[in-house]
Amino acid sequence: MALPQRKTDVGPPHYKQFLPPVIQKNYGKWKYHEVITPGSMVHVAESGDKLWTVRCASPRILSTDTIREIADVADKYCGGYVRFTTRNNVEFLVSEEKQLEPLMKELKSKKYTIGGIGPRITNVVHTQGWVHCHGACTDASGLVKSMMDELYDYFTTKELPNKVRLAVACCVNMCGAVHCSDIAVVAVHTKVPVINHDTFKNMCELPTVIGSCPTRAISPDPAKKSIKINEEKCMYCGNCFTVCPPIDIKNPERDGVAIVVGGKINSLRSNPKFSKLVIPYISNEPPRWPKVVAAIKHIVEVYAKNARKHERIGEWIERIGWEKFFKLTGIDFTFQCIDDFTFMRDTMRTASTFKW
Amino acid sequence: MAGKKYNTPLIDDLEKGPWPSFVTEMKKAAKNNEMANDALGHLEKCYSTKRGYWKHGGIVGVLGYGGGVIGRYSEIGDEFPGVAHFHTVRINQPSGFFYNSKALREICDIWDKYGSGLTNVHGSTGDLVLLGTKTEALEPIFAEYSSRGWDLGGSGSALRTPSCCVGPGRCEWSNYDTLDLTYALTQEFQDELHRPTFSYKFKIKSSGCACDCVAALARADLSIIGTWKGDIKIDQAEVKNYAKKMDINAEVVNMCPTQCMSYDGKELKINNAECNRCMHCITRMTKALRPSGERGATLCMGSKAPIVVGSLLSWVIVPFIKLEPPYTELKELIRKIWDWWDENGKPRERIGEVIEIKGMRSFLEAIGVPPQPQQIKEPRKDPFMFYTDADIEGFKAKEAEEKKTGKYKF
Amino acid sequence: MEKEELKNKIYAFCEAAKGKKKLKEKDIIKGVSEAESVPGDEVKKALREMIDVGKLMYSYGGGASSVEIPSEEYLREKGLIK
Ligand code: HEM
Ligand code: HEM
Ligand code: HEM
Ligand code: HEM
Ligand code: SF4
Ligand code: SF4
Ligand code: SF4
Ligand code: SF4
Repeated sequence: MALPQRKTDVGPPHYKQFLPPVIQKNYGKWKYHEVITPGSMVHVAESGDKLWTVRCASPRILSTDTIREIADVADKYCGGYVRFTTRNNVEFLVSEEKQLEPLMKELKSKKYTIGGIGPRITNVVHTQGWVHCHGACTDASGLVKSMMDELYDYFTTKELPNKVRLAVACCVNMCGAVHCSDIAVVAVHTKVPVINHDTFKNMCELPTVIGSCPTRAISPDPAKKSIKINEEKCMYCGNCFTVCPPIDIKNPERDGVAIVVGGKINSLRSNPKFSKLVIPYISNEPPRWPKVVAAIKHIVEVYAKNARKHERIGEWIERIGWEKFFKLTGIDFTFQCIDDFTFMRDTMRTASTFKW
Repeated sequence: MAGKKYNTPLIDDLEKGPWPSFVTEMKKAAKNNEMANDALGHLEKCYSTKRGYWKHGGIVGVLGYGGGVIGRYSEIGDEFPGVAHFHTVRINQPSGFFYNSKALREICDIWDKYGSGLTNVHGSTGDLVLLGTKTEALEPIFAEYSSRGWDLGGSGSALRTPSCCVGPGRCEWSNYDTLDLTYALTQEFQDELHRPTFSYKFKIKSSGCACDCVAALARADLSIIGTWKGDIKIDQAEVKNYAKKMDINAEVVNMCPTQCMSYDGKELKINNAECNRCMHCITRMTKALRPSGERGATLCMGSKAPIVVGSLLSWVIVPFIKLEPPYTELKELIRKIWDWWDENGKPRERIGEVIEIKGMRSFLEAIGVPPQPQQIKEPRKDPFMFYTDADIEGFKAKEAEEKKTGKYKF
Repeated sequence: MEKEELKNKIYAFCEAAKGKKKLKEKDIIKGVSEAESVPGDEVKKALREMIDVGKLMYSYGGGASSVEIPSEEYLREKGLIK
């Protein structure tokens, strides 16, 4: 069959055709919203019109079968209108109140996970991992599944002092932008890369490779027409591997994950914050990563018990102090927690006022 | 399908438990699809050996474009021929991730015909990601989608697909039309999006208020955060209703970062001159409190992930800009920003890094933005400053003026 | 300068760099425009036309995009040669 004529630079379809009539009518004229259940909310317009939303988790990797199923459900209850959230949730957009209950019922019978609204854990931002990326030190989807099976109730029902946003990045590129999450898992290499000198000269540009290293660990090795890496300077960021495939940094026995906490992206109450390292290393243990899951659950529980209402994890820790956080959680404080990269001068303490 | 049946005990374990399983999704796709089936076997191998087998991206794409397709090949393609090529196609999502059932089915039908049937809805960039196809399918895929009004997203050293929060589509807090702005910028910069001419990637993300639901401040080179200039209007009747449900002093007044609120059990007061518009009170009492006056956004620049010398959050560059169609001021500013980056950036330097290297002054002067205290947390604390001759002449001229008027102007 | 002649110059510029330096679009525009005293916009236009018909192509490697002369494999895949 002949292919249709290709077009270039058409851009995305205009969003307006995908807005349900009630949104088109009340566009920009919303008055307030109320969270009805952990997975449903209603937005009320100045005109009095209402729009109900039902939010469900998705594993982000979706088969076309499941997308079609979502389309079918949307046709049945939502006039076909549905949207997705930045954090990989599906939102069914309901214009008639009488459709709300039947929709929730059908979603439950189809085993959809409804929730994620309000002071809870919502879906986990994550990256491709072993499913699809070359640099991955771990599998993001498997970690997310393992974490959320364990934290399930915090998505569907249980409340926390405030939202807890989780993320997983499968290498320090952090596509998944873990650096401002309440709790994030970032996969790390821990061993200096191995260079294949034979293929190096054909595949890589020497100055580019040398320039790629943030710690200047790489220097030329003229004898081999290749490079050498200073083991004392390399901190395994993998940037050289990115620019030059013959540099291999994958190491199944040494690749693992680190846990960072206390980041936040909004400006509510306090300014956005980066997440900070608290656990420097846990071995990769597919398929369930039990120690990683236990560590995250533990941190969530200590936070739930100790924080004040509306405090995010980072705000709670700043109030009590990091020394207190390590004490409350019982997490060992290690050399890795002291910055020796770009931020030392900002992160060392310069006063004798701390807690025991 | 005559596909090989793989034994996958490790990833099968990830079908158990209540959270939706990506393995189940992969198996659904694998039922009718050789590529998805081999992707399952391939992933099981990763789990059993604790390492990945994907090679660096290769050079694939559609004719004329330099992005939108990410080349992916397996090191062990002989063992798993279905994923020997397993390229990603990024489809530019509609603003706010809104769809209807017809559009979703259209996307699925084409994808089933040419690819693995696996997707990411959505990829972290915002694109709808089609996961896994062969090189020879790329041109047909592009013809099918583009003829129906879908285009590819960005990748490589180009403008990446802009994305935004739900904004006026469904949120009472939005200070400008995030959906429209994102659509307008995406259309305006189609060339920059599809044809990589930058030093490195450039991301634009738009949030309607300081809640920043798309995490623009942390993951966009240009982060557009909605805000306002007027007072917060208070509906005292609604305040009374909230008082029945919550402790307004503990949960709102005492958590106000600028201590500009008070509540005596009857009336809520805000000293608006001191408010820094953090949104805390408004999110707690959405029925009672609303911003008023001029609406617009704060433009921040430079955030990026830790590669290479540490992560950055975006810095405030333009404290306030009005954002109304056709957004001429913003579009012109963006072009000026790119011109400066183009002049000064080396390959693989994000704009935030270039600003650090060349200095904020060079950047601000180039784009015509004056220095303002809203841009900083605090002024510099070292004395190692640059003075141009013109600076000193300026200071001297001011002093001469003072001598004339007899009045100091600091 | 005639467009065809300009295109030949651009092609030669890319050929000279082949295997030595990855050229960004900007490098080509700057390089050719300086060497031939042609406005950058004209070079850019000609370059785009060449990319649109597969005479040159965008490439990606080492984390950054570049422009290069297409391989036979690429041309075959695009149906531009047999
Ligand atoms: C108390 C404060 C907050 C309230 C009342 C609130 C309310 C909401 C509402 C109503 C939505 C749904 C928007 C929509 O799509 O229609 C939403 C979405 C979202 N909010 Fe907030 N928000 C708050 C704080 C935050 C904070 C602190 C963050 C991030 C750090 C955040 C991040 C998000 C994100 C990422 C979404 C998209 C939801 C998703 O993708 O699942 N919000 N929020
Ligand atoms: C030099 C460095 C980098 C290289 C070589 C690189 C490479 C890649 C590749 C090959 C993919 C595609 C994954 C796939 O679908 O197979 C990807 C995805 C992505 N990358 Fe990068 N990346 C780099 C740095 C970054 C950085 C620093 C960020 C962000 C901060 C980033 C953000 C992303 C995002 C958001 C995706 C999409 C991931 C998703 O949708 O799950 N990348 N990157
Ligand atoms: C709502 C939730 C979030 C989603 C859906 C999300 C998703 C993503 C995605 C897809 C990317 C890849 C960016 C791209 O290639 O365009 C990314 C990058 C990033 N994200 Fe997030 N993220 C979220 C929250 C956060 C938060 C809360 C932070 C931190 C505060 C954060 C920090 C980053 C950073 C630093 C990057 C890399 C930015 C860059 O250099 O391009 N993300 N995120
Ligand atoms: C241009 C650069 C600088 C010069 C030429 C300079 C010079 C001096 C001199 C001559 C003294 C007096 C020493 C004495 O009492 O015998 C001094 C003291 C001092 N300087 Fe600097 N300084 C410079 C930069 C800085 C900076 C950047 C800092 C800190 C951020 C700093 C912190 C101090 C301190 C703490 C003292 C001791 C003050 C005291 O004892 O009362 N100096 N400096
Ligand atoms: S975080 Fe690293 S390994 Fe994971 S998808 Fe991004 S670049 Fe690939
Ligand atoms: S892994 Fe990073 S630190 Fe180590 S040599 Fe490579 S670029 Fe340098
Ligand atoms: S960023 Fe603000 S305006 Fe946009 S959806 Fe979130 S809360 Fe609403
Ligand atoms: S917006 Fe923030 S600073 Fe302003 S009154 Fe409300 S809580 Fe206080």
